[in-house]
Amino acid sequence: MKRIETDVIIIGGGATGTGIARDCVLRGIQVVLVEKDDLASGTTGRNHGLLHSGARYAVQDVESASECINENRILKKIARHCIEDTGGLFVTLPEDDPEYHHALIQGCKKADINCREISVTDALRIEPNLNPTIIHALTVPDGTIDPFRLAAANILDAVERGGTLFTHTKVTHFLRNQNTIIGVCCHDRLKKETFEIYAKVVVNASGVWGQNICKQAGIELKMFPSKGSMVIIDYRINNVVVNRCRKPADGDIIVPGDTVSLIGTTSKKISYEKIDEAVVDDDEVEVLLKDGEKLIPNVSKTRMLRAYCGIRPLVAVSGKMDGRDISRGIVRVDHEERDGVKGFISIAGGKLMTYRLMAEMTTDLVCAKLNINKACTTHQIPLPGSEQKSSEHKQIKRFSGIPKSIVGSTHFRHGERAHRILQKDRKSYGLICECEMVTAGEVDYAINHLFVNDIIDLRRRTRVGMGPCQGALCAYRAAGHMAQHEATHEEDAAKMIIDFFEERWKGIKPIFWGDALREMEFTYWIYQGLFGLGNLISGSRGSGKGVETIDEIRNF
Amino acid sequence: MNYDCIIIGGGIAGLTCGIKCTGEGLRCAIISSGMSALHFSSGSIDLLGSRSGQNVVKEPYAELGRFIEENPGHPYSKCGQDIIQKAFSFFQAEVRAQALVLFSNGDKNHFHVTPIGTLKPTFFSQKSVFNKKIRDAFYRKPKIAIINIEGFRDYYPKMAAVNLKKNRLFKGCEIITGSIVLPGEKLNPKNPHEFRSIDICRIFDSKPDLDKIASRISSIAGNADIVGIPAFLGLNNYNAILKSLREMTGYILYEIPTLPPSILGMRLDNALKARYAELGGVFIAGDRVIGGKILNGRVEYIYTENHPETRLYAPSYVLSTGSFFSGGMISDAEKIQEPVFGLCLEYAKGRQNWHRPAFFHPQSHPFLSFGVKTDEHLNPYGPSGERIGNLFCTGAVLSNYNPVQEGTGSGVAISTGFWAGTQIVQKETGQHTRNHD
Repeated sequence: MKRIETDVIIIGGGATGTGIARDCVLRGIQVVLVEKDDLASGTTGRNHGLLHSGARYAVQDVESASECINENRILKKIARHCIEDTGGLFVTLPEDDPEYHHALIQGCKKADINCREISVTDALRIEPNLNPTIIHALTVPDGTIDPFRLAAANILDAVERGGTLFTHTKVTHFLRNQNTIIGVCCHDRLKKETFEIYAKVVVNASGVWGQNICKQAGIELKMFPSKGSMVIIDYRINNVVVNRCRKPADGDIIVPGDTVSLIGTTSKKISYEKIDEAVVDDDEVEVLLKDGEKLIPNVSKTRMLRAYCGIRPLVAVSGKMDGRDISRGIVRVDHEERDGVKGFISIAGGKLMTYRLMAEMTTDLVCAKLNINKACTTHQIPLPGSEQKSSEHKQIKRFSGIPKSIVGSTHFRHGERAHRILQKDRKSYGLICECEMVTAGEVDYAINHLFVNDIIDLRRRTRVGMGPCQGALCAYRAAGHMAQHEATHEEDAAKMIIDFFEERWKGIKPIFWGDALREMEFTYWIYQGLFGLGNLISGSRGSGKGVETIDEIRNF
Repeated sequence: MNYDCIIIGGGIAGLTCGIKCTGEGLRCAIISSGMSALHFSSGSIDLLGSRSGQNVVKEPYAELGRFIEENPGHPYSKCGQDIIQKAFSFFQAEVRAQALVLFSNGDKNHFHVTPIGTLKPTFFSQKSVFNKKIRDAFYRKPKIAIINIEGFRDYYPKMAAVNLKKNRLFKGCEIITGSIVLPGEKLNPKNPHEFRSIDICRIFDSKPDLDKIASRISSIAGNADIVGIPAFLGLNNYNAILKSLREMTGYILYEIPTLPPSILGMRLDNALKARYAELGGVFIAGDRVIGGKILNGRVEYIYTENHPETRLYAPSYVLSTGSFFSGGMISDAEKIQEPVFGLCLEYAKGRQNWHRPAFFHPQSHPFLSFGVKTDEHLNPYGPSGERIGNLFCTGAVLSNYNPVQEGTGSGVAISTGFWAGTQIVQKETGQHTRNHD
């Protein structure tokens, strides 16, 4: 059996895990990160992508609010290409408590969040699609953050500095020496390979799945999974984050992101056994659309793209069990202290916003265990792609000859790394995905540098198939492109497309009517009617079934 | 203007009906709001591909009797076997009048190669997709070359080859892949790496250097017997281009359908429209029928988006507006409607019942079978349940069949279009139809 030795093993490839990997490597610690699926495929990639100013917590939880605003300021410097500094609004509807906005102003003051009341007229000038009947408006330094880019940039930096990443690799069991964890045994689903990794410290950064990981180590860590559902609409109908000025509740925020807008979020307790099969319920879609429309009325006239849900990794710290009342605070557990199991740390709770802080706290503890005395620098050193502030205008000049729209979107997604993608070779900027302007060059870059194994991974790195057509044309192209360029993908190309649409389908089912139904009928015609793809029936990802061809009869 | 018949929708069903009516001397208008679904099709004509979604049908005519018996509400059952067979012969003859040749494998289905390299049973294919030479070549375990044009991003030969090799029919066949650069592409202002089928088609239609193309094909295909090329060999001169390339290279050349736009489908669309125009039919493109007046079980008049004040009258009307994608039906979170007349539909209540849990579910999706409820004459029922005697519904707007799962899409369009046309002709001219009295 293959055997790897390292200083630290990190379990989980979300924002926290990749953040820890980067922090460790920057402090000179060897790391291996193991992720059972793909980067940002769990809760990290399933939230509304809000770069919190902290204002949403300012009334109830000033501590969280302060954490948010601090990280907000840091991320705007180190993760420029993952962030849009859109600004945000809090608006009070006629039906809302008119006093709440005073409380919000006070809370923001306490947490040092720059919150300012503006006139309704000014609010409508900033965001013309807003409900014109609002009675109060506040501005806050909210923004948007792309969690896929964030996780990819963190691990990219870690790997470029010597770290190791295994995606689609599951921890099968822990390796122990009496009451010390000395490593893990893993199985790589794609290479179908089992191997052992030995390390001085194992970090459980697997979020809501952390309860299972702890169980594998014989430890109890109780999670209270809370489902949050969101609906994506097919246009960017707002340019700034629009929050409803009331006590946090379902359907009170609309976040713009890339080419779309998101209506968030519900909060529903679910049982731990259901975390891998959670779906968006019809009543959640209803409340999101109904309340979303109150903030921006043309929500109801806009096509819905999909709905999805994420599971918040809330850790039980008190007896209360409601999703919004459990602390979203960071929970770092030294299992040596708590359970007498050496060499094992869990990090949970928290938010996407505080991933870097969580990584810092975890790495501090790792350092203490390894007797390393090195300070954290992740708040100062920019992520790859965010090294410099550079305007789109500058980039367009730099790559003159390549269509502006392509330069713009490549730079938007990859920041400074765009120079490794954009070449004045026409082949490299031929488009694979028109909706999101993803070029052949960007796909190649993602395959070669961003740990892409299939077109679902590719979607998370490039936005292939995330646009209005939901992959109707580009899924085939992206799979074909991978098959043409990487012999290993030839066999899998058809299966990749099947898996891709089964994954897209999960998000479309909850909103399957109107234009979404039309679009999927079109997609079905192409992929089943025209291609007969379902005849190559396979199981979905992970079911282990291979592609089989229907038994053709010789009919000539 | 006075028409004997107004057809709403200019897809394959509407055009088949229009050709039947104009061919019999009726004055006919087709009002079409957009692009035909043929542009997204394989360009082959399916009659009956599989029974209960699983068993590939070998001889569709032989199976039809049993199929009709098992599916009494199916549009085929409303047409009857005789009309279906007539409709197919009619269709074949009408497009042949426009030099578009459809081949069948006698009374059997044949397989056409899909873009991804699977095989689908179908009944008619264009000469460039299926013919006797291609069929016979398979007895000799041919060497096959699949050749793309450099930069064409809607076809990937390696992916197709891998899947073809999984098929028993291709076991033992050597399949090679490659691509050629199209001569003169530098003159094309578009990035040649963003070519879609229609772009390459235009180049072929503008008299490219076929000698050069032939020699480039030969240099890659070598000693292959069959050369497969994505279907983009022209919209106008395709017969001549294919003939030239065959003669120059000596290969058996065949075309493989691509991602939309489907050139094979567009050829069919063009042939049908040209045939309809040749017979004197009026085709009004770019307008949408948005409503009509129903009185005493009859459509009195209809009106369009562009001219809502103008009432259009005819003794007979045909609704060939397609399924959801074409706008023949619209849905919201609770219900589905037919937008022109508000006709009675057959569909499952509760949107969870419109689809299956998996996208590629072996039982396909219920929504594909939703549509307008009709009687055996294809007459629908109005909003208050009354049968509408002068309105005939054809093609994908009809309920009770799953075109994708059964492989009956184009077959139902042609058969119901022809059956509606036959009845209208009979009404207007007093002719007698043989089998449905």
